[in-house]
Amino acid sequence: MFKESTNPNEVDTIIGPSVKLEGDFITEGNMVVEGTICGSIKTQKNLKVGPQAKIFASVAAENALIAGEIQGNVHVPGKIELTATAKIYGDIKVGNLTVASGALINGKCQMNDNKSRTTKPEFSKQKKLDLKTEIEDNKEIKK
Amino acid sequence: MYYYIYDSYLKSKKYQSILSQAETKLTDLGINGKINYLSFLKNIEQILQEEIKQGVNTIIVAGNDCTLNQIINFVADLNITLGFIPIGPNNRIAKLLGIDEGEAACDIISARIIKKIDLGQINNNYYFLTSLETSGNDLNLNCDDNYFVSLKDRNNIISINNLFYLPELPLPINRGYLNLVIKNITQILWLKKKINYSYFKGWKISLTSNTNKSLSILLVDENRIIKTPLEIKIVPQKIKMIVGKNRLIE
Repeated sequence: MFKESTNPNEVDTIIGPSVKLEGDFITEGNMVVEGTICGSIKTQKNLKVGPQAKIFASVAAENALIAGEIQGNVHVPGKIELTATAKIYGDIKVGNLTVASGALINGKCQMNDNKSRTTKPEFSKQKKLDLKTEIEDNKEIKK
Repeated sequence: MYYYIYDSYLKSKKYQSILSQAETKLTDLGINGKINYLSFLKNIEQILQEEIKQGVNTIIVAGNDCTLNQIINFVADLNITLGFIPIGPNNRIAKLLGIDEGEAACDIISARIIKKIDLGQINNNYYFLTSLETSGNDLNLNCDDNYFVSLKDRNNIISINNLFYLPELPLPINRGYLNLVIKNITQILWLKKKINYSYFKGWKISLTSNTNKSLSILLVDENRIIKTPLEIKIVPQKIKMIVGKNRLIE
């Protein structure tokens, strides 16, 4: 999903390790975060969170590769990859989740794929069988 | 109909031969016109308005980035096409527009490849805005009225630009956005310098000082210092310019 080296032509926003950003950040392109963000992040494409990054914000992206810390809810309809250094303190709503050994998740995880969910059969209309009384009735008939 | 504006430094003997070669070429190509030298004594805005009334539709500026930025405020709101003949040093805008120096620029003007160029606007003045540079110390940066950018370290160079090209960071040019590039340099003892880039884009950036004093910011186009508070905006596709084939803009 992500290349190790990020080509600036493909990346719309780079938040470097020396930068702290406060507020609502909305972008349409790919985004790389290596610094600190407080507020909310919303991107219509991919998000890469570096190992030194700290995000105190709700995050919404199409796909995400997370190696840093996020304190806030994460909503990603596509795929999330959590590396061994990733820490998430918040609820995750995701389509597809990959978690590496060592990653930390503190919160609810909801995978919103309702299409493949099987429907519950209707049992309530069937008569309940009382096996004990039926066996006793059978014995009496035999006698 | 063409009208030519020359910078006053072109009167120097050093540039006479290159200028005469360019003028001969312009005559050969049949695109010569009235020439006027920039001067403090002349009201260029009034002269240009009179010439436009008489049918001038193309203004050609000969000089450098400074000359172009002096003229841009007069012509930005007029419906004309702007051409450029770069002569001498300090010609970054010409490189971005793909215009070669001197005589070669005349062929580019004759070919008339016209592109609409975004302009930067700082406190209601227009600039091509190749770069606005500051260290970032004690500076408040507000982008698009949505978020603040603050810097953890002190070794930073902040550059805000409209037309800008850095080989190590080839960012899109002329797409209706201002680029905000933060270059952070860290060096621990004798170890190799580590350079990190941060890059944002926005349509409006406000610069204010954290302290009571106003901060100095270098306007690279004109080698001039301007003071905070500044409100920098992008004006998309504001001016029609004649550009070369080797331009770096889209």
